[in-house]
Amino acid sequence: MRLNRALALGASLLVLIGACTTGGGSSSSPAGIPASGTAAGPPPTIKVGSDGFYESKLMAEIYAQVLEANGYTVERDLGLGTRKVSASALESGQIDLKPEYIGSGLGYYDKTKTTADPATNAAALQAILATKGGGITVLGYTPGQDANAFVVRADTAAKYGLTKMSDLTAVADKLVWGLPPECSTGPLCGGALKDSYGLDVTKLNVKPLAACEAPIAEALKAGTVDVAELCSTQPAIAQFGFVSLIDDKHTQPAQNIAPLVRDDYLAKVDKVAFAKLLDAVSAKLTTDALTKLGVEVAVNNKDVKDVAAAWLKENGFIK
Amino acid sequence: MDLLRATTGWLLDPSHLVGPDGIPTRLEQHVAICVVSLFVAAAIALPIGTFIGHTGRGAFAAINLANIGRAVPSYAVMVMVLPVALSLSPKYGLDVIPTFTAMTLLAIPPILVNTFAGLRQVDPDLVEAGRGMGMRERQLLLRLELPLALPVVLGGVRTAAVQVVATATLGAELGGGGLGRYIVDGIARQEDDRLLTGVFLVAALALTTEAAFAVASRVLTSAGVRRTARAGLDTER
Repeated sequence: MRLNRALALGASLLVLIGACTTGGGSSSSPAGIPASGTAAGPPPTIKVGSDGFYESKLMAEIYAQVLEANGYTVERDLGLGTRKVSASALESGQIDLKPEYIGSGLGYYDKTKTTADPATNAAALQAILATKGGGITVLGYTPGQDANAFVVRADTAAKYGLTKMSDLTAVADKLVWGLPPECSTGPLCGGALKDSYGLDVTKLNVKPLAACEAPIAEALKAGTVDVAELCSTQPAIAQFGFVSLIDDKHTQPAQNIAPLVRDDYLAKVDKVAFAKLLDAVSAKLTTDALTKLGVEVAVNNKDVKDVAAAWLKENGFIK
Repeated sequence: MDLLRATTGWLLDPSHLVGPDGIPTRLEQHVAICVVSLFVAAAIALPIGTFIGHTGRGAFAAINLANIGRAVPSYAVMVMVLPVALSLSPKYGLDVIPTFTAMTLLAIPPILVNTFAGLRQVDPDLVEAGRGMGMRERQLLLRLELPLALPVVLGGVRTAAVQVVATATLGAELGGGGLGRYIVDGIARQEDDRLLTGVFLVAALALTTEAAFAVASRVLTSAGVRRTARAGLDTER
């Protein structure tokens, strides 16, 4: 463990040194050989941000490290809280890039447009973001998804015979629900439960808890709540043997992850090469890969930086 | 301006004055957790502060321990307590126990430090005079030192109360009730009028608490002590 960490640290230091030397090399070069296609000199510093939860930080760190390995200077501003904060930071130019779930990101701007099809969601999100903050581009999304999932303990599932969401309708009143505070007004949570499963969240016994966080998983484990809204890649599900109920009415939108980048930054670099670089990374991130990375961070308590570096190395993106 | 109008509208909407998420219910929940935490903190900090202030023994350890407590963020306390609390009681472990623990720990340092400081700043000549008149230790403490220290002691309780009222909003992050509900829900639902209503109500409650303690301090302190203690109270704050 200690050796791994030392190796990872060494690797990240090497990457850092590599990034520094390439940067220094091109700027001190008298001929001024352009480091990237369109702009002369090293690419300008990119400010990478993320939301507050681990998966968003991890994705941001993965994109940041692969950029660093390719000569970009990265300034990190990870863990900006909720989407409300991080989206405004991106729109106002306080950050240049953030990873985003295409379903929830779209829902943030237009709650009526989300669908179960990733391509439709990505296109709709791009259409909206083109007009935000002077233009924001949605790069290629990951094949992996981290969708919201309604989860129960194994004993609850056995007691009431629960395997899919519609099984909840009959026993809803006997259960305590751990739902995020925005559930009652959210079309994907309260709206979906009501329209597709006939459950009125305002009439249920609800404990308001942020979805996908540690406290809601702890509360489910302890029996304070019986149903909880978690994320499908959340390590607690496997760790505590929770049962994810099948969304049999297909209410939850496609939640593949894509980097959002400000157009004014892309204009300063070789846009095609930049997109190609990040798209190649995104293409490797399957649901399985996301879940495994999540276990490393949230269960094995490894540093996000080390986990990101190890995965990038394993997949040949950095040395 | 629109936001201000929206917030006022939200506050005055009759539907927000009743039911489990109504302002009276949330206010009651908020006051309950604050009063209980403050009461327990006072029950711990007042005797200890009185003892170390009167005897001067163990002051270094107690004051430093209390100040370390000040440095630990309340939310960190809540999250650390959470797993233990949940294993003790699934019913109350999620929000009630962690919030109560964090608020109690938050309230102890100001009460303890002020009680100690209040007793220490009593003029030693007065204590000597009391002793010379034949007062016993118990009488010295209850009839001379504590009355003289009262404004400073109450100042500590007041600081603790205001901090607890403002910080107890964190309980809502762990599914608790209270006024923090409006703030957490307001942010989550992107309803700025709900959020600002929460902020306004918490601020108003904190200011009311501050004012109530100011009045209590004035009523409980005798006129003579009030005059002489003013200087001490000012340097203390």
